[in-house]
Amino acid sequence: MIDAATSRLLNALALIAISAILAAAFYTQIVARELPCPLCILQRAGFVAVGLGLALNLLTGPRPGHYGLMILAALAGGAVSLRQVALHIVPGSGVYGDPVLGLHLYSWAALIFAAIILGAAAMLFFERQFEPASPPHVRGTLIIAALAFFALMVLGNAASTLLECGTGLCPDNPVAYEWLPG
Amino acid sequence: MMALPFVIVFAGLAFAWYGRRGWALGSGLAAIAVTLMLFRLHATDSLALSF
Repeated sequence: MIDAATSRLLNALALIAISAILAAAFYTQIVARELPCPLCILQRAGFVAVGLGLALNLLTGPRPGHYGLMILAALAGGAVSLRQVALHIVPGSGVYGDPVLGLHLYSWAALIFAAIILGAAAMLFFERQFEPASPPHVRGTLIIAALAFFALMVLGNAASTLLECGTGLCPDNPVAYEWLPG
Repeated sequence: MMALPFVIVFAGLAFAWYGRRGWALGSGLAAIAVTLMLFRLHATDSLALSF
């Protein structure tokens, strides 16, 4: 079944997937020029908190508490995405941004947060990964690459959010970066 | 203020890198708490859910 080594591999792949989601959000922000709304930014914050749980599994070994952190973060992010879905669910109430593969980004986020909760809860059943006799964690190339990609996305989001919102709250429908001229 | 969750998670990542697991977990929980607080501040419009 899933031992510590397999758990590390799965966590590394999941961290790359989370970072890819954040990179895709950057793509819509920079290339498609869709500024993220406040709720969109908070959904990104939910994803990075999930990523911290994955990173903890990679750096200090898998622990139930790390999966607990991922579940709590996904619940918080999921609540934000469901709120945004509810804002636009009634026909004629408008949408935010362009759809991707038929769904808006906040709908995708709600589905992905649900998948994270299910995945993290399922991982808790594989208790061999938590055994203290597991070999010491090794920071291989894949793990370092996953952590570097994730750290870049976290820093990028911090910088982008500061540029867009400054030090206060964001407007509901942002049209320009607060800290960028023009 | 909106960047706070990302800054806290980055700090948590640094704690995890240096093996400070408790501090890293605490940072994650703090980031979630700040995210929920910011959510509360932004979710001010009432939902119009009558179809």
